[in-house]
Amino acid sequence: MSILDIIINYREGLLSGLLVTLELCLIIWFSGLVIGTLLGYLGAKYKIEIGGPSRAISFILSGIPVLVLLFWLHYPLQAMLQININPFLTAAFALSIINIFSISELVRNALANFPAEYNMAAKVCGLSHKDTFTKIELPIIMRQIIPTALNIQVNMLQLTLFASLISVEEIFRVAQRINSIIYKPIEIYTALALFFLLICLPLNGIAIWFKAKYTRNISES
Amino acid sequence: MLEGKNLKKQYHGREILKGIDISVEAGKIVSLIGPSGSGKTTLLRVLSMLDPANSGAVIFEGQEYKFPMREENIIPPWPRISVVFQQLFLWPHLTLKENILLPLGGVQESKQMEELIDLFQMRGFIERYPNQASLGQKQRVALVRALVLNPEYLLLDEITSALDIEQVGIILNYLQGLKNKGVGILLVTHLLNFAKRASDQIVFLDEGQILERGDANILKNPDHPRIKKFISLIESAS
Repeated sequence: MSILDIIINYREGLLSGLLVTLELCLIIWFSGLVIGTLLGYLGAKYKIEIGGPSRAISFILSGIPVLVLLFWLHYPLQAMLQININPFLTAAFALSIINIFSISELVRNALANFPAEYNMAAKVCGLSHKDTFTKIELPIIMRQIIPTALNIQVNMLQLTLFASLISVEEIFRVAQRINSIIYKPIEIYTALALFFLLICLPLNGIAIWFKAKYTRNISES
Repeated sequence: MLEGKNLKKQYHGREILKGIDISVEAGKIVSLIGPSGSGKTTLLRVLSMLDPANSGAVIFEGQEYKFPMREENIIPPWPRISVVFQQLFLWPHLTLKENILLPLGGVQESKQMEELIDLFQMRGFIERYPNQASLGQKQRVALVRALVLNPEYLLLDEITSALDIEQVGIILNYLQGLKNKGVGILLVTHLLNFAKRASDQIVFLDEGQILERGDANILKNPDHPRIKKFISLIESAS
């Protein structure tokens, strides 16, 4: 049975797994990019009240393996609270938290390290606050954070595989189930690798393109 | 007139300006000379009110700003007062031409800008990004970015350090033309001949204090031993 045969024969199962993975991914990406950007902005603006706690949480999270966090939220926490939450929601929450704090740190650092002299040059040229933000600060900061933010999103997509370990029916878990039936690991996991390559490579490519095109231009003035 | 009275400025507890009195009249060129770390750049920032003084006052066209004061109480004097910084601070995501055009507020082309591009021999590199240009090229762009805004007072911090003699001459002539049109210019420079030729007044700053001020003669026959030493060092180096 070839890769193509497996994809055709198990298309419904693979498709449902793919949709779960994509749904999970969209939640993680959206929450990370929106809430993370907002948190990063607020963290740069209110350094002590928001920036401090945000950095502390990021630091703690950076020391906890994703799998441990996922398991901890899924098993002991729910047992302690005597609640039962859908594993999909648990995985979405855990991975969103990681994405939110990764993005917030990226944005907060970019804002905190933005050279004040560019604003001073804008001020002396008579530019308004709005023009300074939209035409100078935002474009420079976006050029700095977009490549790294894209890399983080690719990494988050790959981390969704861990959701299978708490019984989320995402594509990796579906692939494992198919393999347990037909035992064709090479073909199945190659198909899975191709799926991830299909999504990850363009994102990585865009990140590299962005970096090559724009980072060079802000390397010095 | 742009005037600073008893300006004091501290950074991290260190007094950089120790009560400076300085004035730049319309249609005059004042050259500020002094060793590195003497407070020249700080004086430019404080006098232009980009960096508020800890105490003292800045008087701009009759309006007095007594420091310390809240930044929002300063009526923005820019770009009527314009500054070209030694570090230039060209915006790195814009081409050199866009750096000049952005402050013009969406104007696609400016006749004055085009004339200055030709005058300062910038045509060959104006479409480049700052990181693709030499320091001398960027110095000219930063100067033009300030000039196209037609400032009434122009504060220039070491803007000719990377230029050749021909370009320095062109800029000197242009500044003298501006002076004749009534623009007041404060010029930080290490080029003593440039200062002698251009200036109505020369001010020597050392360790946050003005040691001497006067016409070009203070560079020929300085009274203060510190200035004598500084001039001999510069002359021996050049």
